[in-house]
Amino acid sequence: MKDGLYSPLYEHDSCGVGFVVNVNGKPDHKIVQDGVTILKNLAHRGALGGDLKTGDGAGMIVQIPHDFFLKVLKEAGFTLPEKGNYGVGFLFLPQQKEKRNEAKNIIKEVIKEEGAKLLGFRVVPVEPDCLGEMAREVMPFMEQVFIICPPLVGAKLERKLYLIRKAVEKAASKKKYSIDDFYIPSFSSRTIVYKGMFVAPQFESFFPDLADKDFKSAIALIHQRYSTNTFPSWPLAQPFRYLAHNGEINTLRGNANKMNARESTFSSDLFGKDIKKLFPVIVPGGSDSAMLDNGFELLVSAGRTLEHSMMMMIPEAFGTKYHISADKRAFYEYHAAIMEPWDGPAAVAFTNGTKVGAILDRNGLRPARYVITRKGKVVMASEVGVLDIPPEDVLEKGRLAPGKMILVDTLLKRVRKDNEIKAAVSRQKPYRRWLEKNRIELKGLFQAPGPVEVKTGSLLTRQKIFGFTLEELNMIITPMAENAQEPVSSMGDDEAPAVLSDRPQGLTRYFKQLFAQVTNPPIDPYRENLVMSLMSFIGRERNLLDETPRHCHQLKLPHPVLTNEDMIKLKNADIEGLKTVVIPMVFDVNKKEKGLEQALERLCVSAEEKVDEGCSIVIISDKGIDRDRAPIPSLLASAAVHHHLVRRSKRHLTGLIVETGEAKNVMDFATLIGFGASAVNPYLSFETLAQLKEKNDLSDDLTLESAIENYITAIKKGLLKIMSKMGVSTIRSYRGAQIFEAIGLSSDLINKYFPNTPSRIEGVGLGIIAKETLLRHKNAFNDEASGNDILDSGGHYHYRRFSEKHLLTSDAIVFIQKAIKENDYGLYKQFAALINEQSKNLCTLRGLFKFKSAKEVPLEEVESVESIIKRFVSSAMSFGSISKEAHETIAIAMNRLGAASNSGEGGEDEERYKPLPGGDSMMSAVKQVASGRFGVNSSYLINSRELQIKMAQGAKPGEGGQLPGHKVNEVIAKVRYSTPGVMLISPPPHHDIYSIEDLAQLIFDLKNANPSARVSVKLVSEVGVGTVAAGVAKGKADMVLVSGGDGGTGASPISSIKYAGIPWEIGLAETQQTLVRNKLRDRIRVQVDGQLRTGRDVVIGALLGAEEFGFGTISLVTMGCVMMRKCHLNTCPVGVATQDEKLRKRFAGKPEYLINYMRFVAAEVRELMAQLGFRTMDEMVGQVDRLQVNEAIKHWKTNGLDFSKVLLKPELPKGGSLRCIKKQEHDFSYFLDDQLIKKAKESLEKKKPVRINMSIRNRNRTVGATLSSEVSKKYGSKGLPNETIHCKFTGVAGQSFGAFLARGITFELEGDANDYLGKGLSGGRIILYPSKKALFRPQDNIVTGNVNLFGATGGEVFIHGMAGERFAVRNSGAVAVVEGVGDHGCEYMTGGRVVVLGRTGVNFAAGMSGGIAYVLDENQLFDTRCNLDMVDLEPLEDDKEIKFLYKIIKKHVDLTGSQYAARILHDWEGMLPRFVKVMPGDYRKALERIRKEASRETEVVAMTEEVYG
Amino acid sequence: MGHVRGFLEYSRKNASYKPVTERIKNYKEFVEYLSDENIQVQASRCMDCGVPFCHSNGCPVYNLIPEWNDLVFKGKWKEALERLEMTNFLPEITGRICPAPCESSCTLSINDSPVSIKQIELAIIEKGFQNGWVKPHPPENETGRKIAVIGSGPAGLTAASSLRRLGHEVTLFDKSEQVGGLLRYGIPDFKLEKYIIDRRVNLMKEEGIKFETDVNIGEDLSARYLQKSFDVILLTMGAERPRDLRVPGRGFEGIHFAMEYLIQSNKYVSGETEKERIISAGNKTVLVIGGGDTGSDCVGTAHRQGAKKVYQFEIMPKPLDWKHQSNPAWPAWPVILRTSSSHQEGAERDWSILTKSFSGRGISVEQVHCIRVEWQKDKKTGIPKMVEIPGSEFSLKVDLVLLAMGFVHVDHNKLLSDLKVELDEKDNIKINEKYATSVPGVYAAGDSSIGASLVVRAIFHGLQAARSIHEYLKTRK
Repeated sequence: MKDGLYSPLYEHDSCGVGFVVNVNGKPDHKIVQDGVTILKNLAHRGALGGDLKTGDGAGMIVQIPHDFFLKVLKEAGFTLPEKGNYGVGFLFLPQQKEKRNEAKNIIKEVIKEEGAKLLGFRVVPVEPDCLGEMAREVMPFMEQVFIICPPLVGAKLERKLYLIRKAVEKAASKKKYSIDDFYIPSFSSRTIVYKGMFVAPQFESFFPDLADKDFKSAIALIHQRYSTNTFPSWPLAQPFRYLAHNGEINTLRGNANKMNARESTFSSDLFGKDIKKLFPVIVPGGSDSAMLDNGFELLVSAGRTLEHSMMMMIPEAFGTKYHISADKRAFYEYHAAIMEPWDGPAAVAFTNGTKVGAILDRNGLRPARYVITRKGKVVMASEVGVLDIPPEDVLEKGRLAPGKMILVDTLLKRVRKDNEIKAAVSRQKPYRRWLEKNRIELKGLFQAPGPVEVKTGSLLTRQKIFGFTLEELNMIITPMAENAQEPVSSMGDDEAPAVLSDRPQGLTRYFKQLFAQVTNPPIDPYRENLVMSLMSFIGRERNLLDETPRHCHQLKLPHPVLTNEDMIKLKNADIEGLKTVVIPMVFDVNKKEKGLEQALERLCVSAEEKVDEGCSIVIISDKGIDRDRAPIPSLLASAAVHHHLVRRSKRHLTGLIVETGEAKNVMDFATLIGFGASAVNPYLSFETLAQLKEKNDLSDDLTLESAIENYITAIKKGLLKIMSKMGVSTIRSYRGAQIFEAIGLSSDLINKYFPNTPSRIEGVGLGIIAKETLLRHKNAFNDEASGNDILDSGGHYHYRRFSEKHLLTSDAIVFIQKAIKENDYGLYKQFAALINEQSKNLCTLRGLFKFKSAKEVPLEEVESVESIIKRFVSSAMSFGSISKEAHETIAIAMNRLGAASNSGEGGEDEERYKPLPGGDSMMSAVKQVASGRFGVNSSYLINSRELQIKMAQGAKPGEGGQLPGHKVNEVIAKVRYSTPGVMLISPPPHHDIYSIEDLAQLIFDLKNANPSARVSVKLVSEVGVGTVAAGVAKGKADMVLVSGGDGGTGASPISSIKYAGIPWEIGLAETQQTLVRNKLRDRIRVQVDGQLRTGRDVVIGALLGAEEFGFGTISLVTMGCVMMRKCHLNTCPVGVATQDEKLRKRFAGKPEYLINYMRFVAAEVRELMAQLGFRTMDEMVGQVDRLQVNEAIKHWKTNGLDFSKVLLKPELPKGGSLRCIKKQEHDFSYFLDDQLIKKAKESLEKKKPVRINMSIRNRNRTVGATLSSEVSKKYGSKGLPNETIHCKFTGVAGQSFGAFLARGITFELEGDANDYLGKGLSGGRIILYPSKKALFRPQDNIVTGNVNLFGATGGEVFIHGMAGERFAVRNSGAVAVVEGVGDHGCEYMTGGRVVVLGRTGVNFAAGMSGGIAYVLDENQLFDTRCNLDMVDLEPLEDDKEIKFLYKIIKKHVDLTGSQYAARILHDWEGMLPRFVKVMPGDYRKALERIRKEASRETEVVAMTEEVYG
Repeated sequence: MGHVRGFLEYSRKNASYKPVTERIKNYKEFVEYLSDENIQVQASRCMDCGVPFCHSNGCPVYNLIPEWNDLVFKGKWKEALERLEMTNFLPEITGRICPAPCESSCTLSINDSPVSIKQIELAIIEKGFQNGWVKPHPPENETGRKIAVIGSGPAGLTAASSLRRLGHEVTLFDKSEQVGGLLRYGIPDFKLEKYIIDRRVNLMKEEGIKFETDVNIGEDLSARYLQKSFDVILLTMGAERPRDLRVPGRGFEGIHFAMEYLIQSNKYVSGETEKERIISAGNKTVLVIGGGDTGSDCVGTAHRQGAKKVYQFEIMPKPLDWKHQSNPAWPAWPVILRTSSSHQEGAERDWSILTKSFSGRGISVEQVHCIRVEWQKDKKTGIPKMVEIPGSEFSLKVDLVLLAMGFVHVDHNKLLSDLKVELDEKDNIKINEKYATSVPGVYAAGDSSIGASLVVRAIFHGLQAARSIHEYLKTRK
């Protein structure tokens, strides 16, 4: 299935997990039934394929149902030994009989070889009728095999079964069986796995076994899968043998490589010589979860306990901000020297048949709720309410906090909580002592840097060899040294990709960062950096399967950037076990390409020799360059050595340090480490800094030492950011994870030096790389000889004639601006020629395409300009990033055309919803819903034709942003529901989308909030975007937007603009291919944007599969933008991207300009259509075979490019389509709002109060959003008078209860709620209290899930009980009272009031720039849990505030009946001093300023590390 | 970039002039330059554009303007000079007499006043001379190749200098007694004092360039000799043929081409000739026909010679009277009314006037007879057409008429005919994109190949031609 751009490697899945267990270990059939029920009640977390019937997978691990097998095997003719003394293998076999028998023979043989005894086979009865067609076609034949291995029983038997299974797998793979032909879901004496391509309800009807009353188990662990693709794969359904995983392992590539490398040093008494039979431990071709299971299985089988193994693989964060025991911290640090985390969002449920447990990763981004009943059952699942448990039976309700674990031990008959488990594991060995005695911390290492020795004579020459330019010095290195952070730029990237550049490029420029979108959440590296770590151990690793004090005898690095002194100390260190060697990283210039290849080989070989000789640190260095020796590109060298050592299974025996003059910017470091380097010494950057200092190019008060420190800090921050984009928390797992995609490198080169890195259009090989290096080398020495002592300008960031090529040159800008002002199509054509005719200025991949000739049609028969324009949109640009004038003018223009403008993420003034006199409208037809949710309320959502979920943006995919306070003026503050002068932060992830099923939920929410709008999802091109798009289609979005990674208008960190995301040509093609093949294309439209300029671009987009087209940058150019790239400085001199009053007056754009432009583009499209013989756009969509590569364009680097994968027309499956021809089918079967609206009819029409009573369960999701839309439609955001519509619900509410609840509506819920309660609350009121029959203390139990009140803009919430993580995140106006919250409470809050009458988790108030929180701090430890970066903690002294607090708590007591809160009021005088007021500094200043009514813009623009979008 | 909001905090300042009464007493430069501090403030107005139009669209030599603006702002004059010299071989000339299209295309010109780029350029180079940073760059190695450059105007000087630095043996020929061509003889001293040219020429001499003046190639030295003695011949002899006014009475005395007039005046100022031997406007009523820069130079010169009254007529209509500092045609060169320093010194200017004839007393011109015209757009082609306005005829008493109506093409002298170089449709020397003429080994650059244009454009072409010649020589072992 791997042709074109689709590859199963990029599939993602996510889902619901859960388990139910009898704590006393008594098997019964009810547990199995409960398991099935849980599955059914999580059905909405799964998805259906293109045939709307094939599920993505579901399954269950249970204990071996001994009684059942005894019964059924009697009929099969053999008997079983005692319970636990035999093994059962579940087998997925080929349907074809002969192949099946052959497969079974393999098993029989292995069993014999291993000295075990086959008891017999059993054909598993199945009922395939219920399945979807796609699932049925590839359904395996299912049998079970029963064996014994006398005298082995218990753990020994289990290990034997593991060995046998691995041996069978290996034998099968030798005989060319793929896992789709032959697969063993489980092979154990304790557990058995039933799974397949189901949706939950199909599960039990497919396996009649499960319905048998004798089919008993004490444990049922279930999994419901939501996969981005729908190519059915039975083996990839979960659970696996030990675990079920909800989430994504982002660092998989690195983890697998490292595991493979370590195999050479595996040894275990338990396995002895047999250990080799287990290799490869990680089975290639599995999913991330399958590989996680492989690793876990090894650790457990080799003797570690379940909980110990989990703590190694998914360690919680143990940075200094966490108050944890010294022993536990030592445990984690010790294990950091043994194994890197398997990093990524994860909720993992695991079992070995006696213990069952669950763990959350350090970020805690997956929900895991549990209920412990009085009758001795524990239910854990992604949602609460999946099993009906009478309230009076509930002993405890909780959730797993980030990094925490829960375990039920059925032997001990106990529930063990996190503290108990980890205290025991951390103290099972004296890890702390081991660490203190053995870890190596070089004295003086990482101290303040000392003087830098500058070899001034050769500095310039060396700078030139390593690609330093004036621009790099001025725009990158100096700002990093001055501000300790990476600089910011704006207006996207229109530079030619490295492979199309005429000038020699550094190798790094061929790589693009991957980033998280939808399937896993990025992390906030600033506000949530407590979970992240740059610490690592480097040196010689030891046997993974053992633990000794020597295991941590390695060098501890706090971060991977080494100063020159560090290098000296390292090289001279005289410490046993720390032997270093320096290997030159240079090649002979006279031997050219051959020289490079030989040098690389030599480098690899000598590194290996040195490792064999016992060197624990290998330093590769390009310091030895001279006239005859050029540097091997450092990235190439280090990746080559890394992979050579991985192949030889020796990588873990040494640290690999790169001493290079090439590392300058963040991306250089990120690629070096990402491809395997342990640490980097950028000596030439340091020398350059010294030179800058000497020349007084740095601030007077900045010493060289601090400049270097700042520079290193900037690199560190940049690394954290790049890691965070992919959701990776630790450098240990980032190292070697290869989270990059190459654009323009040949597969020969990739396979040899960067194996498994995607590179889909082929490109240059070693020859060109050598040539590029040699060119620089030669020029540098030529310059030296001719006395040319000047550094090149650069031209990557700012345009320079005779330098790097850019798409928007000054000529192009002049032509287009003149054309649109004078309405002159001829001038437009001149502009288009500059862009389209790329023989002279080859800047884009599509520049290499040409159309195949075809029979023309007469122009007048082609669809009209007016009709074509309807497919055009102006890309999302927020009001805030661009000026009011620009934003409104664009909206008017697009509305006049009947096309659509996009609000961007900054909200919209309600005034704009009213038509203007004269018929114009300033309303943006597309309303964006981004991670910051600024101004997203019910009224905003209903006033739109399209709701767009921005998952990523071209300029900085995977990142958040911030609008600095000085840019937040009155108007912006108003539409964003915030306070003028207060900084606004957009978090990197949507806090209600941590995975694909969450996105489906948000789509569902938005559909409810505006049933008539279509919902779209904005993605950015990267490898795998197609599979994400398939997931989006399955999530029932109406349109998916594929943005190029080069687009973008607003400000972003410079490395993100340049190095994240790929051109849309590839991403769009991949999307089209994947959707078509999955039979999903027929129900979803595709839009493309990113550096679109001309009609030719549009036609190429259409042929590659897009129906709609977005124009961002160029829309601004028609408004007067001249590509200043100053958006981030607020100094746009043409009033487009600025909020400065003075500059805004300079805005000279007019709607006509944009209208003219759009008409010109459409006219050009029309002409091309006539030429190509298409009468309608619909005919043209997806006809990619009409494109070919323009062989006439010759360029020294493009020879190797191969676009066959991009230009592949996917085979149309039966009933498939190349374009969207129908609407998504939504399931509203659990929809409550129609009843609510009916019952509230009079209230909606006449404001007459009404009371409604209703029961509710977890499948009733997003209740209240549609009802609210009815209110907003009629009354705007003002809504109805309070308490007009009062609804009382009983039961467990599904996700997004009361989402976007409008003013005038009250929701009262007796029971529990799931995640996202009060999402986008728009003035309504929510009251939540546990069932009156419940016996537990609500203030100690979780009654509602994570991410409550996300993006609330107003209203009130009263919660009697505790809430999960991220309570009131991005709240901008709601008032809430709650009796306890998890981690990250009030994060990014900008307004409103939150009262917490109990415990909070860590990182409270991170990024909180506005609003006030009042926290009851009973044990005086709140300040240790609060993130104090932006807030101050104060006592409550102001009378007015005290009165407010009392009143609101009183209200809470009255509405929820909380006795706990009543007691606080009862002892008010005594309790009051224990309240802490959390006050953001900015906010206080803003309030004071408003009070003084003297809000003047006085602040000077500061460079910010990241900016708004 | 140093100062993010510089352009919002400071307004444009330019150099000022000495009072008219004072300055017309002599031919000295009368510009009063800004102080270093002021120049630095002006440099801080540069916005360091993402697409710097000044550099990529305005400046014909693609000066790295934002880069040296920033360096000047930071007080790094020497580094600024280094980056200025990367693109411009004669900044001390362009810094004085360039019309500065860079400023017209400065992004600030869209709606504000442009950065004072020209002043900054001049300040950089003058500071360089003051501090001895401007040094000869003799080549380290000699290539042994010989190149003859014919004509020592800006194109010839630039090409010679550039070729010499690449190690070639360069001989620069000029028919005049001194080096500089139009720079020396065409531009009055009050705009460009000649020591400035000497200063540069001395540097070039130190670099080893040979100067052969007072040699009329084609006459004194044959084309054949030249071709035999040199590997490459580069023709940079300008576009000297002036546009004539063919009307009745053109033959009267007292009617001269502007360049004839200016050359004589310049020679007088430099002492190459005596006062009595030049055309003088002293105590005369002067009419300058033609409204361009040359005409303007005639106006200034006439005043300095003590003219009684100076008129300047232009056939084209009066351009837009644009009072703002911004450029209505950004980034293009705007057609607006420009008042030069010479105009400030007094001239009656009039537009849309067609000269019909001259009448005279004896052999001397006495009157000019003109008619007013109107420019109407042709409805079909859109090309403006001149129409005489009936009854608008008038006459004017004049003693001296100076024809400053531009130049038509290169002088078709014996050298060109002997070399047999092809001409283009405008009768200039035909060259390809490599500056090669139709004759192997013969190159041409500057006005002689593109027609009369800006000094700065000649510099660029000189530089490019030098590069092409260097490449050409590399291929011919």
